Amino acid sequence: MSGQKPLSRFHQPIAVPGRRLLHHIRPEFVRKKVVGGGGRSVNQEIPLIPFIDFLLCIVLFLLASFSASGELPIDKNVQLPNAENVLDMLDAPMVAITGTQILVDGAPAGNTRAIIDGNRLTRVDELFNILKSKRELHKQINPGKPFPGVVVLQVDRRVQALVVKSVFQTAAFAGYPNVSFMVGRMGGG
Amino acid sequence: MAGIDVGGHGGKRSTNHEIPLIPFIDFLLCLVAFLLVTAVWSQMARNNADARVPGPPKDTPPDDIKKEKQLHVEMKGDRKFQLVWKEGTTVVNTIDVPRKKLNVGESGDFKYPDLAEKITTEWKANGSHRAASDPKFDQCTLHTDNSTPFQDVIAVIDAIYTPERDFTFAGQTEKMPAFNVTFAVN
Repeated sequence: MSGQKPLSRFHQPIAVPGRRLLHHIRPEFVRKKVVGGGGRSVNQEIPLIPFIDFLLCIVLFLLASFSASGELPIDKNVQLPNAENVLDMLDAPMVAITGTQILVDGAPAGNTRAIIDGNRLTRVDELFNILKSKRELHKQINPGKPFPGVVVLQVDRRVQALVVKSVFQTAAFAGYPNVSFMVGRMGGG
Repeated sequence: MAGIDVGGHGGKRSTNHEIPLIPFIDFLLCLVAFLLVTAVWSQMARNNADARVPGPPKDTPPDDIKKEKQLHVEMKGDRKFQLVWKEGTTVVNTIDVPRKKLNVGESGDFKYPDLAEKITTEWKANGSHRAASDPKFDQCTLHTDNSTPFQDVIAVIDAIYTPERDFTFAGQTEKMPAFNVTFAVN
């Protein structure tokens, strides 16, 4: 107290109390860890188990909603019209009408040129035969069950009404009186 | 690492097995990425039409065939639509509706709101099948020119489908379009 430097605690007769707990642990970095050291650890662990649970939930959801066939237009040239008052899509044979081609589930089934040149309602024989064979196949696979007779038309917005009516009539003759026109939802809702 | 302790001791091979979590998470992430990429986010829908094909013949013909009012929509002119209510071949009423196109968005879509409004009003006044328990629907026949673009046809069908009614099937009631649409053969 007279301006002299105070003695260290090891030289003082009575030691100043300090931290003693866990100070005997040898490796220094372990000792620092267990004693505390003051600062919060900068290492953060990802909680793996909830993360895996989350991933599994996503996988299950995506697997449940997975569709191998999809609903994309068969032909990329087809520009579908949009409508507001619509119904949900259903699973049925898909007839696509592009500028000149008629396709059934992606396979060629006739040409629109003959209809336009004739300028009158025309039965498309190739389409008729394919749809009829599909109908027979459905009846053989599902004996005793009523045939739904549903077909979905995927028609380009520029196609003339004459072609649409001819295909519509051909489908009806082939045993598909319930015709649906594939459209986009107006406004994307 | 996660582990499963089944308490093995002695000189035998260890029965503690660790699930390799990191490859497992990698596998799950790959699966998620694949499924997300291949997912089909479809905006597709449909408009229904009916070819009005008669069913299989019955042994006994029906006693009383009631003629119902049917709505015919003529879209042959450039300036107007014509709504015609017919009972069989008898014309009951004819209404003209101006052909006003309303463009929607920038993709060239359009609709006919005046036609939709008029058809809704007409169905409320003259529709025959309005009860939820009624299995039949009112019939609408669409008359078009051969050269009419399909987009125009869909816009008119969309307008015809505007009026909706309740429909009860298997104990469940849902909203359905009030009209069944078919094409006139000409």
